[in-house]
Amino acid sequence: MTQVIFVILLLLMVIAAVAAVMVRNLIKSAICLAAVSVFLTIILFLLGAPLAGLFELSVCAGLITVVFVSAISLTTPYKKEEASELAKKRLARFIQLPFILALVAIVFGVMLAFSGMNIGIPYATPSTFSTFKEVFWNMRQADILGQIIIVLAGVFAVVVLFKERDEK
Amino acid sequence: MSFTVLAIIVAAALILITGFYCLVKSRNMIRMIIAIEIAMKAVTLLLVFAGKVSGNMDLVQTFIITMIVMEVVVAVVAAGIAVSVFRHNDSLDIDKLKKLNG
Repeated sequence: MTQVIFVILLLLMVIAAVAAVMVRNLIKSAICLAAVSVFLTIILFLLGAPLAGLFELSVCAGLITVVFVSAISLTTPYKKEEASELAKKRLARFIQLPFILALVAIVFGVMLAFSGMNIGIPYATPSTFSTFKEVFWNMRQADILGQIIIVLAGVFAVVVLFKERDEK
Repeated sequence: MSFTVLAIIVAAALILITGFYCLVKSRNMIRMIIAIEIAMKAVTLLLVFAGKVSGNMDLVQTFIITMIVMEVVVAVVAAGIAVSVFRHNDSLDIDKLKKLNG
């Protein structure tokens, strides 16, 4: 039963990713990206990583979608006549993607199935908050420092990018 | 190899290929950022799978959280660059960015 749910979730994730690439409207594309995040969150919960799933849902499905929607509304990508012309070119560019994916899935799947590799999913105790807290705060302090520096660098970059320039 | 393991590896490969294909073929800057995000989702899926296989999910969760922070900063800065480029060039098409031509 769990296997069936897993395969359905993975299938939905791949379909949402392909839709995010192939849909013409950028807003719909951003929403498809959020859908990929939501399916990934459910997979993370099922695999026993609830805190990572929480971050994924709140940040990737929530915040990044808001960032994309505001970036799209701040820019008007193409004018009407340009858009209709580009739509045809887009279709020609992206029409090969489903065929490439189907080919890769078949070849890669058959190769892996007959490769004799033996990877099993062991029954591991799921991560709890207390053990995660211990690892995160006691073992990975360099990661926390790195995250703080990255966030500060991002804030600095946004401040520089959106600075009002003096009109000469 | 169990069917679930096979499905996870193949799905991650497909999502990664989708992201890279869009990155190569797309001309719109915002769609290129979306492609980077899609590729990062595939990497997250593989990371959590590695955690499950090795049985060390706590460590992998810290890695995933670090990756999500980086993902957000990359998305925000790239979206800022796209808006800034649009203000200067009046287009998001990367073929039309010719101001830096030597």
